[in-house]
Formats: sequence, C-alpha cells, structure tokens
Amino acid sequence: MKVLIIIPAYNEALNIVKTVKDVTENTDYDYLVINDCSKDDTKKVCEDNHFHVLSLPTNYGLTSVIQLGMKYAYQKGYDIVIQFDGDGQHQAKYLKDLVKEIESGNCDIAIGSRFVTKKKPVSMRMLGSNLLTMAIKLTTGKTIKDPTSGMRAYNKQAIERFVKNASLTPEPDTLVYMLKKKMKIKEAQVEMSEREFGESYLKPLKSAEYMINMFFSIIFIRAITRKNN
Amino acid sequence: MTMTLRIILVICSLISFILCITKIKQAKLKVTNSVIWMIGSVILILMSIFSGAVEWIAIQLGFMAPVNFVFLVMIGFLLIQTFVDNIRICNLNEKIKDLNHYIALKEYDEKEK
Repeated sequence: MKVLIIIPAYNEALNIVKTVKDVTENTDYDYLVINDCSKDDTKKVCEDNHFHVLSLPTNYGLTSVIQLGMKYAYQKGYDIVIQFDGDGQHQAKYLKDLVKEIESGNCDIAIGSRFVTKKKPVSMRMLGSNLLTMAIKLTTGKTIKDPTSGMRAYNKQAIERFVKNASLTPEPDTLVYMLKKKMKIKEAQVEMSEREFGESYLKPLKSAEYMINMFFSIIFIRAITRKNN
Repeated sequence: MTMTLRIILVICSLISFILCITKIKQAKLKVTNSVIWMIGSVILILMSIFSGAVEWIAIQLGFMAPVNFVFLVMIGFLLIQTFVDNIRICNLNEKIKDLNHYIALKEYDEKEK
C-alpha cells in the first residue's frame, strides 16, 4: 500500500532535519513536509537539504496543513496517510505498527498512543486528556486512551472524509465524528519524547480555549453526527 | 415616544440611507450587501413617523415604554446582521484557505517537474 507521512512544520528550523532523517532512515514510506508559512528558516533548511516540502503562502494553522496533506494524498492516490509531528516528539520506528494495524483491515484509523499498556501520569495536561477520553466514551461508547496524540494513521475512507468535509480537524472531536460514521479506531503503543527546541502549537495559555472548543464540538456537534452519508 | 426621539431617529435613518447610496456610487459597497441597511433605515423612519402604531404594538406586547420596543427591534436587527456577517467571514476564510492550498500545490508541482 502507498503510504504518505505528513510532517506539519511551523517554525521548526531546529527540529525538522532530525525529524525527516528519522523518517527516511527508519521507514521507506513517502513523506511530505508542509511548511505553514514559518517565520524562521524552516523553508530554507528544507530546500537546502532537498526535502519534499510544500510551502503555504500564509499561516493558517495545523488544521489547514492536515487538510492540505489529505488533498495531496487524495490526488496522488495514497492508501494511508500518517500525521507525524515535525518537532521531534514522535519516533518514526513506531510508524510500521500503525501501518500494520490498518493493512490488516482491523481498523480505519490507527493512533500512536502513549497509554495502551502504560499508565497515564498525573498532571494538568493528563487531566485534560482524561476529560476528553470521558467525553468520547460518553458520546460514542468507545474508549480512546490517548485522544490528543498527534501521531495518527488514516486509511483511504478516512482520507476521503477529510477531503470532502472541510470542518474536520486533526483533533479529538474528529475521532468522535469518525466513530459515529462507524469507522474503527485502534491504538498502538508508542513512546514520545519531549520536544527539544521551539514552541508547540498548543501553548499553555491556549490549552483552556482548546478544551472548551473540544467539549462544545464533541458534545453539541460531533455527537449528533448521523452514520449515513 | 417623545418628539425629540422621533426627530433623532428620522435624522439618523436618513444619514445611514444617504451613506449607503453614496458608498454604492463610489463602488465601495455592493448593492446586495447594502439593501439590508436601507431596509433597516426605512423601518426606523416608518417607526418614527407612525409612532402611534408602534405604541399600540408595544402596549399589546406588554412593554413598559414604547421606546423599549424600538430599541428591541434595533438590537434584533443588529444581532441578525452580525450573525450573517459571521457566516460571511467563515465562508471567506474557507475560500482563502482553499486558494492557499491551491497555490502551495501548484508551486510544488512546478518545482518537482
């Protein structure tokens, strides 16, 4: 199966080389760095190293980046798309496990989860994660142990849904939407490291806003998704 | 309604009406977008001219003072306007995003050739 790894990058000049090297050395899948109009040298670094890089003319955020990646994959006929953070938190050696899960036909979406076999540590961030797990359990009856994980693999049907529905985001509320559409989600144990340089998309101040958005979306919008069409 | 309020309402509506028309002539506003403002100012003028009817409706609906009814109508009008504008902004946002994607994909295709 044709697999594409999407690497969103916003101001990741310091991390991107390591990330792409990790991907090319540990897997033989195609990859595509999507530079979300970074203010630093991300674009130059990618071009100097001859990476496959798509550069957006204006900054529109992670959702736009993933939607663009899905469009690209759909046009080029990829069977699986994997979302892989460009900040060095994800490790490419686990990507094979996600692809295996989808190739076996057991699931439509595979999540690289930190907490399948391991316990969640206690922290503010994990409290948020627990609340989201609860909201998903409440609305769909399914348990997703690591809903905020940014390492996800999508099969062809999921890619198509992303291309056709512009309201879908690479966030937990989309998982609820997909579950309501009778798609299967599985989790595979992975490990993630702390980021080395730069800032994350999710800054602490934005976390509260993020949680509120997710809850409203899950409970009032995604929970009443109909399974047909 | 007092005479002063009625006069102020008429003057304000006339000003907004004239503003709409001049902006359309200067091609800064599209006709379809400004019709709603003209309708709004016409309603205000009508409400200040036929204040008797407004007072009758206000009393029937149980308002403490007819002027409250006038304010309610204006607030309702503005709320609908902001909501419609919000939808428009979202649509524009989506379109810009699509153009953004289109440019990025095109550039990439040309580079790969």
